[in-house]
Amino acid sequence: MSEMLATFLASTPLLEEAWRLCSIADTTFPGAYLVQQIGSVAYVAFSGRQADPGSDQSRENPARLDAEDGGLFAPLYREAEKPIRVHSGMLRLFLSMYQSLQIQFASLIGKVKSVVITGHSIGGTTASLSALWLLCYLQSMSSPITSVLCITFGSPLLGNEALHRSILRERWGGNFCHVVSKHDIMPRLLFADVVPNHISKIHALISFSHHCMAAPHLVVASLSSQLVDDVEDIFHCVLKDLELLAQAEEPSENVFWPFGSYVFCCQEGAICLDYAASVMKMMYLMLATGSPSCSIEDHLKYGDYVGKVSKHFLRARNFQEEDLPDSSYEAGVALALQSTELVIKEPVEDLCLSVQNSNLTKEVAIRAKDCLQMARDGNKPTLIAANLATKLSKIVPFRIEIEWYKFYCDEADDQMGYYDSFKLKARWKRESRINMNRYKLAVFWNSVIDMLENKKLPHDFHRRGKWVNASQFYKLLVEPLDIADYYRAGKHRERGHYITHGRERRYEFFDKWWRDRGIPEEENKRSKFANFTQDSCFWAKVEEAREWLDNVRSESDVKKRDLLWRKIDLFEQYARKLIENKEISEDVLAKNSSFSRWMEDWKELKS
Amino acid sequence: MDSLPLGEEVIQKACSIAMEAHNYPEAPWRVENSPSSSDVFFTFPGSWSVADWFTRLPFGEIKVDPSKLLSPKGKDKVATSLRSIGRDELATVNEGFLKRLEMILANPSLQSEVEKAIADKKQIVFTGHSSAGAVAILATVWFLENYIKPEITRMSPLCVTFGSPLVADFIFNHALRRENWSHCFIHFVMRYDIVPRILLAPLSSMERELEQILYLLNPKPLFPRQGSTRVASQFYQTVMRNASALTSHAACQLMGNANPILETVASFIELSPYRPCGTFVFCTGNGKLVVVRNADAVLQLLFYSTQLCSENELEEVAERSLNSHFDYQSELRDRLKMQNAVHLDHLDGLPLSSNGAAAENIATSMALNELGLSTRARLCLRAAGEQEKQKLSNQQRMDRKKADIEAGLAMLEDYKSKCAVCQVGYYDAFRSSKDEDDFKANVKRLELTGIWDEIVEMLNRYELPEGFESRKEWVELSTRYRRIVEPLDVANYYRHAKNEDTGPYMDKGRPRRYKYTQRWREHALRMPVGSSAESSFWAEVEELQLHRRTRPGAFEEIRETILNLERKLKEWIDGEHISRDVFLEGSSFTKLWKSLPQQHKSVSCLQGQINS
Repeated sequence: MSEMLATFLASTPLLEEAWRLCSIADTTFPGAYLVQQIGSVAYVAFSGRQADPGSDQSRENPARLDAEDGGLFAPLYREAEKPIRVHSGMLRLFLSMYQSLQIQFASLIGKVKSVVITGHSIGGTTASLSALWLLCYLQSMSSPITSVLCITFGSPLLGNEALHRSILRERWGGNFCHVVSKHDIMPRLLFADVVPNHISKIHALISFSHHCMAAPHLVVASLSSQLVDDVEDIFHCVLKDLELLAQAEEPSENVFWPFGSYVFCCQEGAICLDYAASVMKMMYLMLATGSPSCSIEDHLKYGDYVGKVSKHFLRARNFQEEDLPDSSYEAGVALALQSTELVIKEPVEDLCLSVQNSNLTKEVAIRAKDCLQMARDGNKPTLIAANLATKLSKIVPFRIEIEWYKFYCDEADDQMGYYDSFKLKARWKRESRINMNRYKLAVFWNSVIDMLENKKLPHDFHRRGKWVNASQFYKLLVEPLDIADYYRAGKHRERGHYITHGRERRYEFFDKWWRDRGIPEEENKRSKFANFTQDSCFWAKVEEAREWLDNVRSESDVKKRDLLWRKIDLFEQYARKLIENKEISEDVLAKNSSFSRWMEDWKELKS
Repeated sequence: MDSLPLGEEVIQKACSIAMEAHNYPEAPWRVENSPSSSDVFFTFPGSWSVADWFTRLPFGEIKVDPSKLLSPKGKDKVATSLRSIGRDELATVNEGFLKRLEMILANPSLQSEVEKAIADKKQIVFTGHSSAGAVAILATVWFLENYIKPEITRMSPLCVTFGSPLVADFIFNHALRRENWSHCFIHFVMRYDIVPRILLAPLSSMERELEQILYLLNPKPLFPRQGSTRVASQFYQTVMRNASALTSHAACQLMGNANPILETVASFIELSPYRPCGTFVFCTGNGKLVVVRNADAVLQLLFYSTQLCSENELEEVAERSLNSHFDYQSELRDRLKMQNAVHLDHLDGLPLSSNGAAAENIATSMALNELGLSTRARLCLRAAGEQEKQKLSNQQRMDRKKADIEAGLAMLEDYKSKCAVCQVGYYDAFRSSKDEDDFKANVKRLELTGIWDEIVEMLNRYELPEGFESRKEWVELSTRYRRIVEPLDVANYYRHAKNEDTGPYMDKGRPRRYKYTQRWREHALRMPVGSSAESSFWAEVEELQLHRRTRPGAFEEIRETILNLERKLKEWIDGEHISRDVFLEGSSFTKLWKSLPQQHKSVSCLQGQINS
């Protein structure tokens, strides 16, 4: 499956076209970028030779994006739970080009339908930042540019796990395609916990690769002996830290993290993965089978790799082993494994060496297989969300019964409204049933929140209209009953008032989902009262106002009395505004509701 | 040939007639009708000009015009069958080939010959080689749409093509299978013949070469051919690259790959809309035949069977890709081999490697080897088979829910008659929802909504078998559902004044489960579009009431609508599609009608119904 996707990508002209422009940018546009229009697609290619961004010790402390971007990437961090950090040198590099880029893109809008942004090496991170900025920018306007695709070749990492999560949340994961050759050190470099004395070595490495990009025809063999040692150090350092990371569970804020899809290219084939944990494992496993010198060569050989994978479609490639598993699933994994070239190749001549080696390669092959299977299962959140939707439809009758209870109370002779009826008659038969329903609904929604917090649901779950709407209706209808229950049981005397001390966390989630849904509040004039009071905490406010009103009568201290009076006044203004806008439902105004009785008492007190 | 609806003689005859037609390029069509034979063959000459293949960029494709050639004639406003019914998406066909057929039918001579054959009760066979095959396919659809009717003929035509390019998209195939027409189409394809693959590539990718290639393929060239190898291998690579992108994209979807990059990248390139339809017979090149019916599998085979075994084969295969376009007659000469054709029916159990096959699979295994299918190719075929199986199991799952639906409908019908006993229409009872029964009805309504919305979702994703929307029991069940439950949805909509936020029910609020199922019935009974709207009757009443309330003096504005509604209501009452509770005293409709001007009421067609 991961392999079929790579076959698809390689059969399109996009990879070859992008690489062609990257290599031109590398040789002839150092420190800059190149723009070319092909049909209705604009290609923007960043040169891999850029002013060295790593000159400070920024690996230790990547920059907080929201502190340094001047608001350019606001949609990314607006909803982020943890701060997004990116490599500060790379961010500075992008910002230094930003003005000219902005003009460039403005001139493309209207001329093209889609944009491919690409770059080799450090040009790749600039390409990623440009694509992220363009996506943020296009989000705020209706633009004729419908698709943006970022293709990088051997790009270093850009940011932390929070960046990865934000990109998933915005559903931009599918806009990034990182091509990584089998042993290339560059995309793996920032996984390493580099100590300061490595920095000069990395500099040497980067300037060497710049040198090679400028003159791609020269032979790579001209490594100086000093550089060979440096590379060896870096290689082992990266390998060690990558191994640790590939096994780690919880990433820390400062650790660099992959995002988007990764296409791993080998001589024999390619695979495409988008599950971050699998990407890191594959990065490790492939590097582990390489050597320091090929880890540099591979950074400069993308032309070869792209040319090869783009021709794979012509030839039927068969599975080379005897024992092909018969299940389609297992066979698919076996084929992908073959493309990664991590399977055992026997026999090796030297017997003594081969025992050791084959143990190692076996180990690698087993772990690679795990990694591919994990990538396949990484899509489970989508499945869980689908099952949850079925469960949601199963609990609908409970909600409907409560809804019907509300309308029944509206029509009832006692004219109390459902809030007061429920509060007063808690042990009656009908109310007990409603209470049971309330309880079942709470269990369901708590389980949703629980899954969300345990990252079992898709990252954009709370953006999906179905769930935003369902949770909002639930909240408006049922929260008043939660409030009634709270005050009936006298919990406010033990714990304090509902809004600050008794409100269940789920409602705060739902508030946020509703606020963030990105639809501007319309000034919609209602011709009749809303079906549900639009402020689900309205009754809790009534309860507090009731307390103030009771206290104001008995309060002897003039100052305190004044304060209470002012609070009551404010509440009245707030309630009147809701009524005026018809944002409350009829039950609030029922003759015997808590609110109506409060209003009467208040009028009496004022007069 | 086992389980194909035609014998070897017919195939051989069709092939020789189809090839011969190229010798008479000036005759737009030919007929072979010998008094001694029970078959009549219609055939067409091929076309070798780029303009006939591609009328426009990127693929020369056009949506079927619902009012034209490929729609039923006569009865007004009956929709074409070449669409998905619920989603109401029209099929796409190649415009150039369609134009050729239009040109032929502009002259009534073909029609009268066809009608003569019907009168003689002969088996009609449309056949063609190369692009003439595409014309034969469209002609067959024209015949099916216009002549297969109880009053004309029940005898299915046959369509036999040889090396035909693809002619239409997946909706076309979907419609053919739904109408049970698919078995009429038999397409022979040589393993390396490039022609059936050409339309998988966009014109822009091969504009220069295509002209030369079509020239090389013309059996009657004006000038001698030369220097074909270079062009051929260039052309072969272009077509294969595009076919690879298309088939790997399709395979990713078959395998359920959810990586969003798939669709992002697809939006950057041009993927062919054309898909196979009908039964394909692949000829391996040494007389062996492989029969495949699954359209997804055929698409994968079109690509994988033409792949190279090693890179140095390129020139040889590229030449064969042109030459084998003319090998059909010799390939189909041997009757014995035709009788031993291999059927790839159980795709999900195909052997994955070329050597390890169980004994009962030997013939299949050999056939797959002779088509040069790699493990990857076999995995794709399996995925196609698994998807077909999944569709069937989805259908079985929904079939099991029929009992739940029946029980729900029975409960709501009971609710309806209870209301009638109290002299209230259930529409109005539900609209005011005062009693527990109303609440229970609402819960039932929502339970049923869940089931039907699931069906609609699956239809939208084409996850049910093609025939689902025309299965009699489901058309009937859905009609019952629509008639009893949609009024409750309308009542709920206006009770909560959703029209103030969203707009009138019919324009903005009507759920797809009712739109889709209304189309099911209209299609099954070949009714005019929109004529089975009885279930949304109350929505019209609500809007008219609103009009009476807000603009009481402006009767003229709604007079036509009222007249129309009265006329339709009378039909629906007479046909028992709507029950008489609409006329109860106090029903919303009675109130509306009574508010109308006296002079209208006195001549209304409902006059006797309401006053009594």
